[in-house]
Amino acid sequence: MIDFLQMVTSGIAVGSSYALMALGMVLIYKASEVPNFVQGEMALLPVFIAYMLIYTYGQSVFMAFFGALIFAMLLGCFLEFAVVRRAKNPNILGLIIITIGLEMVLLGFVSWKFGADQRVMPFPISSYSSFMFGNVYISTLDLLTLVAALVIMISLFLFFRFSKLGVAMKATQQNETAARLMGIRTNRVKMITWGISATVGTVAGLLLAPVFMEPYMMWDPLLKGFAAAVIGGMTSLPGAVFGAYIVGIVEHLFGGYVSMEYKAVVAFAVIVIVLCIKPSGLFARHYVKKV
Amino acid sequence: MKNTLWTVLLGALLVLGFASAGYSEVGVTDTEIHIGQWSPQTGPAAPWGAVARGTDAYFKWINANGGIHGRKLVHHYFDDAYNPAKTIAGVKQLQEQTGMFAWASGVGTACGLAVRDYLMENKIPWVGPSSGSRHWVTPPQKYLFNVYPLYLGDAQVLTEYAITKMGKTKIAVVYQEDDYGKQGLEGTEYVLKKHGMELAAGVPVSLSDTDMRPHAMRLRQADADAVLLFVTPGHVARVLGTAKAMNYEPQWMSTTTCGDFPLMIAITKGLYEGVITASFGLAQPTGNVGGVEHINDPRLERLAKFKTEIFDEFAAPDERWGYTFNAGIGFVEPLVEGIRRAGRDLTREKLVKELEKMKDFKGLLGRISYGPYDPEDPLCRIGQQEIFLQQCTADGGSKILTDWQTTEFIPMSE
Amino acid sequence: MDMKRNYYEDIRLFSSGVTFFWFVLLMAFLFFYPFIFKNYYVYMANYIAINIIVVVGLNLLVGYTGQISLGHAGFYAIGAYATITLMTVAHFPFLLALVCAGLIAAVFGFLLGLPALRLEGPYLAIATLGFGLTITTVIGRIEMLGGRQGLHAPDLIIMGHQLGTDRQFYYLVVIITVLLVVFARNITKTKVGRAFIAIRDAHIAAETMGVNLVLYKTMAFALSAFYAGVAGGLYAFVLRFIEPELFNLFLSVFFLTMAVAGGLGSVMGPIAGAIVLSFLDLQLRNILSIPYIGDWLRHLSASYFSLTGVSNIQFIVFGSILIAIMLFEPLGLYGLWIRMKKYWRTWPF
Repeated sequence: MIDFLQMVTSGIAVGSSYALMALGMVLIYKASEVPNFVQGEMALLPVFIAYMLIYTYGQSVFMAFFGALIFAMLLGCFLEFAVVRRAKNPNILGLIIITIGLEMVLLGFVSWKFGADQRVMPFPISSYSSFMFGNVYISTLDLLTLVAALVIMISLFLFFRFSKLGVAMKATQQNETAARLMGIRTNRVKMITWGISATVGTVAGLLLAPVFMEPYMMWDPLLKGFAAAVIGGMTSLPGAVFGAYIVGIVEHLFGGYVSMEYKAVVAFAVIVIVLCIKPSGLFARHYVKKV
Repeated sequence: MKNTLWTVLLGALLVLGFASAGYSEVGVTDTEIHIGQWSPQTGPAAPWGAVARGTDAYFKWINANGGIHGRKLVHHYFDDAYNPAKTIAGVKQLQEQTGMFAWASGVGTACGLAVRDYLMENKIPWVGPSSGSRHWVTPPQKYLFNVYPLYLGDAQVLTEYAITKMGKTKIAVVYQEDDYGKQGLEGTEYVLKKHGMELAAGVPVSLSDTDMRPHAMRLRQADADAVLLFVTPGHVARVLGTAKAMNYEPQWMSTTTCGDFPLMIAITKGLYEGVITASFGLAQPTGNVGGVEHINDPRLERLAKFKTEIFDEFAAPDERWGYTFNAGIGFVEPLVEGIRRAGRDLTREKLVKELEKMKDFKGLLGRISYGPYDPEDPLCRIGQQEIFLQQCTADGGSKILTDWQTTEFIPMSE
Repeated sequence: MDMKRNYYEDIRLFSSGVTFFWFVLLMAFLFFYPFIFKNYYVYMANYIAINIIVVVGLNLLVGYTGQISLGHAGFYAIGAYATITLMTVAHFPFLLALVCAGLIAAVFGFLLGLPALRLEGPYLAIATLGFGLTITTVIGRIEMLGGRQGLHAPDLIIMGHQLGTDRQFYYLVVIITVLLVVFARNITKTKVGRAFIAIRDAHIAAETMGVNLVLYKTMAFALSAFYAGVAGGLYAFVLRFIEPELFNLFLSVFFLTMAVAGGLGSVMGPIAGAIVLSFLDLQLRNILSIPYIGDWLRHLSASYFSLTGVSNIQFIVFGSILIAIMLFEPLGLYGLWIRMKKYWRTWPF
């Protein structure tokens, strides 16, 4: 029983970082209808910028993280403005290839600037301390990630519900033409959505970096975040978070009770099963195309 | 008519293909010796790219000191991103366009195996593949000289030490799912069997996986008191950190791959203190058991000399003076020594003959010996079979635990 | 282009005498290629031809049927392992083993096609991606297939001749590639091809017209997997050593990239994509040896970036080329070619 609880707790812990990536993906999918393969690298570059601010410019950790988040916002906006928006009659495959291209450029840029050396980010909280509930451990960093994921989800929910910009974003996602006719600058709204998405991803990156940093650190969270977003339905924010926790918990239970070898891929088997039952994920309304 | 055409075409081909050979041997001119090497400068395996850059700086240093018998070493190294298809492309391009006399080191088991047959069929010497795979010596190849001690040996010595010297009874292995990890597992099981013991837990790590919580938990469940890590430094950092957060601290043990203590101390934020690793050189265990050495220790004369003369002079300003860079020097020292001994009339056959005569050659690594070619005897090409154990201190120094230990070769089971 | 007057003109292999002439010229060039170029370029041609097979097959699925696959490295792996295993364990001759490997991959393609019946867009992308990752994990567990330690390819013997060199292997690969490309081109002109296109353009409309969705969607997957399987079998003999880690996600992404950047929904497009991007993939590592540009990049690295990471410029260049192709021409390289042709045909108007 203790083992089971521990696995579920650890699953939730790792699910939180997947949730942050998934939230970022869902935001962009709703705005630009593209599975965003550059999500991981939109977080990677700001994380390395934070590292540089600390070690090259002697900033404090808080200042550096703040700088990284601002930079992420600008980076997201820039990518939408300079590249994605410029695509001529884009189809989904073309957009996927564009995000893959962007991914390579940003990854190349980070590896070029910082080399391949393994590093680790300084962090105010020790990455190795933990809380104990009975016999179940959760590390302080995991707890922080969990809180961050929930806070971000709730604030995104409130943002979409109550703020003018949030409502405009929702309107743009539902019907772009109508939104434009109502006087919403849909291009600008999309751009800001990309910025927010990059910022959310960067939070995940900054919380992963205190354990280990290298240019390829965001690939695994990206794929798992993508998987989580798909389970949740690709267009639903609570769905993405829920999907992320499902992925995390299933991975841990499977790794603990069945087979560690298949742990890394079990999430995808879950997806196929979920999608066979609900082809548009758990939380999205199934959309039937009119002929 | 048709025959003439074929002859002309074939003639053109021969001229094109072998035009570069001005001297009687490919890749050797009156003033130059061309040596090739591949390494991943990009991609997830890029940290191992420092091997080639170490070799490059070493060759530049040799050239600055007059070269070998009046010839300069010309080093051609290229990036294969750890992708065998690209390794083949680069090797064939350099071999056929420029003409390499020999190939040095080369990172990656799959990459090396992809070009092994090509190099062997063309009788091109290849010295010091930079991975400890059994594939290099099963079956032994006449022109392939191994330097890197097999991963199997690391596992044997570590397990033996844990059982006999530290009295550990529950030994677990964390292994990554490739040749490196599987050999570690096999070597450990081999020694455990000799002692009539069972493996407490064998935990596989998928290369792309970054979440080590289930792995740490499996180890804690098994209550292992010594854990051997056959994974990359990144996974070591993650496993150690996760286990520490679970208040689980067994005796961690690892291989030469994770034996760069200054680096490991940095990326584990100090958790690496007390970890025992195997090492194939870069320190002087003989007569120094119990002593502490640092990578910049002036007592390590050869290393200190290389630091000031090679690293400070020829390495890129953002290069790190670490084990990977140094290993790049160590892997090719036998090749350079062989070329030196072969004298001015350098040919490939002469180089092979000199390498075969090499006995207990000592460079940065342990003693290296080869023997006359015997297709049945892997030991004639295995090179180094000795390793020693070291323990990490709080400031990234190495506390020497054992003298050189000779490891046993376990043939591949069919 | 030219107006077609009846059905037979549409399905003809060569639309005009000029096309036939160029085709013969191309065949002649392919025949003499190994004599003109050095062995290294022959190796490159082999590598590119194998990629062409995969991408042409992928195009049947992605370009003609409108499905997406991020798991083709899985089929590629199945083909490679099946070919070697059939040859070493069951002692099949090479060509038979290769065809059987293709068929085994096709069976897996059919199976993957079943869940794909209900999925589309990102849902299908993640399901196929999962398939690709799972296949390599499963292969890594099977000791008979060498597990994680990998598998050596046996000698390649065809009708008593051993194909040991790149030049000998070249003819084998090129013949198979030409056959498969012509086959793919013909399929797109048949009932099957038209059904694929109908499904891509409007699958509900296609169904009401009597196109059997289940049959044709799974057939597209199986066909595409067959191509990848055959290519995988050939690739195993290019490398002569395979291990599961070679068939990773990057490879799947690379295949899709070649298909899309080449131009979907045509036969020439994917071929162009495979040639250009495989060439870049193999040759970009030499970017630092280009005179002037290489020096300038080194200088730039020393001043603002890092010298140890300078090779990563490859990624930046490759990514930028991808972005540029897709931004300026959604139909990829093939679209670029059509536009150029049109421009010169109507020049100076």
